[in-house]
Amino acid sequence: MLGTLRALFGNEYDAEGYRSCSVTGLDVHRSVEEHVKLFGVTAVVALVVGGSFAFTVATTRWELIGLLEPGDFYTHLSLHAWNLLIFWMVFMEIAVLYVGGPMVLGRRLPLTALAKAGWAVMVAGAVGVNLSIWFTEAPEQAPLLTAYVPLPVSPWFYATAIVFLLGATVAALPFFAAVWKEKRGAATKTLPLVTFGAFVTGVIAVEAILGGIAAFAYALVWRVGLIESVEVGIYRQLYWIVGHGTQQINLLAMVTVWYFLTHVVGGAVVVSEKVSRSAFILYLFFINLGAAHHLLVDPGMSTGWRVWNTSYAFYGAAFASMIHAFAIPAGIEAGRRQRGLGGGLFGWLTSAPWRNPVFSSVVFSVILFGFLGGITGVVMGQMQVNMTWHNTLATVGHFHATVALGTTLTFMGLTLFVVKTMFRREFVSDRLASLVPYAYAGTMSVATLMLMYAGILYGVPRRTAEVVRNIPGTDFSLAAASPLFALFGVFALLAILSGILFVVATVGSLLFGADNSGGDLTDLHAEGGLTPDGGTSVHAVELRGTFVLCLVFMAAFVAAYVLNWYLLTQLWSIGA
Amino acid sequence: MPAPLDPPEGNWWDEPVNRRETIWLGIAGLWSVGIFGWMSGFTQFGDQNPIGETYDVEPDAYRERVQEYKDAAEETERGLVPPEDSVYVGAMRYNWDALPVVLEAGREYDVHLGAYDVQHGFSIRPEETLSKQINLQVFPGNEWVIPMTFDEPGTYHVICNEFCGQGHRSMHGTLVVEEA
Ligand code: HEM
Ligand SMILES: [Cu+2]
Ligand SMILES: [Cu+2]
Repeated sequence: MLGTLRALFGNEYDAEGYRSCSVTGLDVHRSVEEHVKLFGVTAVVALVVGGSFAFTVATTRWELIGLLEPGDFYTHLSLHAWNLLIFWMVFMEIAVLYVGGPMVLGRRLPLTALAKAGWAVMVAGAVGVNLSIWFTEAPEQAPLLTAYVPLPVSPWFYATAIVFLLGATVAALPFFAAVWKEKRGAATKTLPLVTFGAFVTGVIAVEAILGGIAAFAYALVWRVGLIESVEVGIYRQLYWIVGHGTQQINLLAMVTVWYFLTHVVGGAVVVSEKVSRSAFILYLFFINLGAAHHLLVDPGMSTGWRVWNTSYAFYGAAFASMIHAFAIPAGIEAGRRQRGLGGGLFGWLTSAPWRNPVFSSVVFSVILFGFLGGITGVVMGQMQVNMTWHNTLATVGHFHATVALGTTLTFMGLTLFVVKTMFRREFVSDRLASLVPYAYAGTMSVATLMLMYAGILYGVPRRTAEVVRNIPGTDFSLAAASPLFALFGVFALLAILSGILFVVATVGSLLFGADNSGGDLTDLHAEGGLTPDGGTSVHAVELRGTFVLCLVFMAAFVAAYVLNWYLLTQLWSIGA
Repeated sequence: MPAPLDPPEGNWWDEPVNRRETIWLGIAGLWSVGIFGWMSGFTQFGDQNPIGETYDVEPDAYRERVQEYKDAAEETERGLVPPEDSVYVGAMRYNWDALPVVLEAGREYDVHLGAYDVQHGFSIRPEETLSKQINLQVFPGNEWVIPMTFDEPGTYHVICNEFCGQGHRSMHGTLVVEEA
C-alpha cells in the first residue's frame, strides 16, 4: 500500500527537482506535481462519494422506483450537492491553480507547508460537513446546498462549512505567492494566458469565499443563540455570493483548462491574446453581479437592482463567455489549419484526435456547456422568464448542464491527463478510457434535458421526494410528466454507470496501469507538434468552421430565447 | 507562435484580430445589448413581471392580518370569497393558509404573499395546462403584494417549491377562478 503510494507520488527529477514534460513542454517541479496529485486524488474521492448519492437521489425522483423516504431523501440530496458541487470541484480547482500558476510558469510551488495545511483543513471541513449532514436529526433539517435560514440546520454544518472555506483560502495562497514571485522585479512581463486565467479564477474565488464565510457565520451566530433573529433576505444575499461565486470559479477554472488542454492535446493556438484576455477581465468586473439571478423572484429587491445585476451590466459576462465560445474552437481550427491538417469547412474538426479521451472530454464540455448550460442560464436569468424556471427541475437541468456536464467533463479530461502525464500510468484499457467521455456526455445530456422539460413543461418542483405521481392529501398530481421521468431515470442510471467507468479508468489505471515513465507519451502529443511552425499568421487564417458553429449556436440561443418568452406571455397577467 | 502556456511575444495588444472573430464580437455584443433592452422594456410594456410592493412585517403580525382577512371573507363550500380586491395567502409548514379561495375571472386582485415560519415557494398552475406555471419566493418577514388577473376560469393549483421541512411535498392549495 505505502509502496504503491510512494511509487505513484514519485517521478524522476533532476538534481534541482525538475523534469521536463514531453507533452506540454513544461519544466515541472516536483513540489507542484506532488500537490496537484494530492488535490486531484482527493477530488476524485469526493466525486465517488457525491456520485453514489446521485444514484439514490435519481432513483427517488424517478417515482416509479421511489427509493428513499422523504427524510432520507433530503439528507442524500444534501450530501450529493456538497460532495459534488463543492468538494469535487474545489479540490480540483486548487489543483488547477497549481497547474495554471507555478507549473505553467516553470516554478516550484512556494509555501508548500501552507498547501499541505490548506489541504488538511479542507479535508477536515469536508468530513465535518458530511458528518453533520448525515447525523442531522429532527427537529433539525438537512441543509441541502443552500442551508436557508430560518430552517433549523445543524450549527455544526455551518461551522464545518466555514472550516472548509478557510482551508481553501489557505490552499490558494501558494498559487498567489507563485504569481507574485513571477511578477516581482518584472512587473511589465505578461503572464501566459493560462496563468492569467488562473489568476482571475483565484481572485473570484477569494471574493466568493469571503461571502461564504460571512453568510455561514451569520447563520451560525444565530443558531448558537448569539443573535436573536435572522433576516431571510440578508442571508440569501450573502449566501449567493458564495453559492453563485463557486459557480463562477467552476466556470473560470473550466475555461482556463479549455485553453490549456485544447492546446496541449489538440494543438490549439491563441487566436487573439487581446480578445481572450479582455474576456477574462470582463469576468473579473461583471460576473459577480450575476449572483442576483438567484433573487429574481424574491420580495424586497427593487426592479432596477434585479434587472441590472442579473444582466451582469448589459450582459458583460455573457458576452465574455461568447468570446471564449469562439476563441476555443477557433484556436483548434487555426492551429490545425496552420499545420495543414484537415481541409474544407470542418475537416480540421473531423480529423481531430477524437479517440483521445482528454480531447473529447474537453470538446464535449465546450459544446454542451454552451448549448445546454449557457443558453438556458441566460434565458432563465431574465427576470420575467425566471418566474417559469425558479425552483423547478428545469433549474436543476440548467445547472447539471453547466457543472455536471460542462465542468465535470472538463475535470474528467484533466484527471485522465494527470493520470498519464503526472502519475505516469498507462490506462488499464485505452478503449475504456476513450469510451468514458462519449458515454457520460451522451447519457447525461439526455438526463439533463429531461429535467429541463419536466420543469418547464410540467412545472415539476425541485427538492422534493414525490409530487409527480402523488401529492399527499389531494387528487391533484403532476402525473402527466411521468413519461419524462422514465426517460430521465434510465439515462440518469446510464450516466451514473458512465461515471463508474470513469472511476474505474482512473483508479484502475493508478493501481494497475503500466508505468509509462520511460516513454514519451506520443499518443497524447498534439499532431504536428505543440505549436505549428510557420503557416499563415493566426489572424489571417480562415476561421470558417468556427464561424459557422458559432452561428448555429446563436440560432439555438435565439430560438430558446423566443420560445421561453412566448411561453411566458401565454400566462395570465402578473405583476405591477 | 501564440501558445497559451507562453508569455505572448512583442506588442500583442496591437496584433490584428481575425476578421471573423471581429464579426462574432459584433453579433454577440448586439445580442447582449438587445436582450438587456428587451428585459428592461418588458417591465414597462409586458404583462408578466415579478414586481409588486413589499412590506416588512413580523411573521406573527402577518398571520394576524391573514386571520382578519379570513374573518372578513365569505365562506363557501369551494373556498373563501375575498371581501375586496385583496387575496391573502399565508405559507406555513405544511399548509397554504387562507386557501382555497374563489376568484372572478378577469378581475385584478392583489395577491399578498408571506410566510409564518420558514421560506416557502408559491408555485401555481391551472389544472388543465401544467406548462402555464409560475413560481415566487415567499419569505417570513415580508409581505409581497403581486397583482394578478386570471382570465381563464378553472382550478389553479398551488404547491410549495422551496424546501421547508419533512412535509414539504404535501403543501398544496387551490384557487378556484369562476366566470364573473
Ligand atoms: C449521474 C450524475 C448525476 C445525476 C443522475 C444527478 C441527479 C440529480 C437530481 C435528480 C437532482 C435534483 C433533486 C431535486 O431537486 O429534487 C440533483 C441535484 C443536484 N445535483 Fe446532481 N446529479 C448528477 C451529478 C451531479 C454533479 C456531477 C454535480 C456537481 C458537480 C451535481 C450537483 C447537484 C446539485 C448542486 C444539486 C442541487 C441540490 C439542492 O437542491 O440543494 N450533480 N442531482
Ligand atoms: Cu413550503
Ligand atoms: Cu416546501
